[in-house]
Amino acid sequence: MSALMTLLAPILGGFVYGFERVLRARMQRRQGPPMLQPFYDMFKLMEKRTIIIHALHVVLGVLHFFLLWVTVGAIFFGWNLLYVIFLHLFSLIVLVMAGYSVRSVYSHLGANRELLAMVAYEPVLLLVAVGFFLQSGSFEITAILQDSSHLMQMPLLFIALLMIIPIKVKKSPFDVVEAHQEIVGGVEVEYSGIFYEFLYMARFLEYLFIYSFVFLFGGDSSILGGFLVLIVFFLINLVDNATARVRTADMMKIVYFGAISISVINLVWMVI
Amino acid sequence: MSFFKRFRKKSPWILHYNAGSCNGCDIEILATLAPKYDLERFGVINTGNPKQSDIFLVTGPVTYRSRERLVKLYTQMPEPKVVIAVGSCTTTGGVFRGMYNVEDGIDQYIPVDVYVPGCASSPQLIIDGVVKALEILENKNQEIEKPFKLFGGIRQVGTKTSRRDMAKKVEPNRSDDDQS
Repeated sequence: MSALMTLLAPILGGFVYGFERVLRARMQRRQGPPMLQPFYDMFKLMEKRTIIIHALHVVLGVLHFFLLWVTVGAIFFGWNLLYVIFLHLFSLIVLVMAGYSVRSVYSHLGANRELLAMVAYEPVLLLVAVGFFLQSGSFEITAILQDSSHLMQMPLLFIALLMIIPIKVKKSPFDVVEAHQEIVGGVEVEYSGIFYEFLYMARFLEYLFIYSFVFLFGGDSSILGGFLVLIVFFLINLVDNATARVRTADMMKIVYFGAISISVINLVWMVI
Repeated sequence: MSFFKRFRKKSPWILHYNAGSCNGCDIEILATLAPKYDLERFGVINTGNPKQSDIFLVTGPVTYRSRERLVKLYTQMPEPKVVIAVGSCTTTGGVFRGMYNVEDGIDQYIPVDVYVPGCASSPQLIIDGVVKALEILENKNQEIEKPFKLFGGIRQVGTKTSRRDMAKKVEPNRSDDDQS
């Protein structure tokens, strides 16, 4: 079952992304693209002529996608949560290296911002993992999913996780990393054709990665987990449509003073 | 390959460039992409990145300042691609035709597939033009398309085709009249 889920992870993520585009359009009273639009985009990119800057650049981009795929697979197989977080960090470091390896200014700016965003959200992810450890005595995802719901014991950690989801899925209060109107997509600016497709699919996998953290809060009841994911998905899109982009420095301040401090308070409360 | 061909017209990504327009047509293009006319229901995204787009939407008569970028953006777009000239100025030069600082339409520089008239052209006309362009896009192939002027040539580097110098820079010292 988990092997099948891992194999189909990009397709599953594509459906999530397509559904999100429809949902966002309906929130703006538009009709929106069809649900299968991400797959149409992918098939179209397959037979576009490809422009390559240099070989290492595209290899790093493809490697980013496959490392993310391994990360999502590790979640589905129920590995150690710390492994998952560090594998994800590794995949993003590869992307940042790809961003610095070309001479485009937008690519460099995107890589800078990607690094800053990583510095912002990575502590929160680790603190959430520590919270799960205090709760269930293990970092293994299978062990975390055997306990009853963690929401009652770690509500502030849940709010902290909610604050960093927009950074990860590149949604509006914290979408400086991508910022299409400003730096034309950041790191992905020099990719084209079939190699851009890998980065496009990597975005789907990021959705699965971050929303599976929300799912973990449900504990042994997968109905509660799925319900939480749906609520959070709706909320994130609502916030995306209602807010403007903040600057990188402000994003760091909000995440450091808001998210990290409340998660530390929650952890101290759990230990006491 | 023929299996993927049918998806071209389902996800056209747009690159929009203002070659010295008065912003009238640009506002109409933005209105076309906004909720009322909602061009995204055809899968259209305004990417702003030439390397990932299929349709080149150009507005404005080509001014001397903008022609270099126009050709550069055109050569950076991977094939298959189509060019739409939006507005009277872009198709013929419009009210600026014959003036000393404009080039009387973009078809002096790059091959154009669809001409959309109007000053400023309305959102309905632009949607019509985009849908027409999708039919043309479906019948194109991966052959490299060349601009008419400022074309620097394509080099072979080993087994790879290099389009690095495909767009020539305008030489500053030469008089602008004998450009062709």
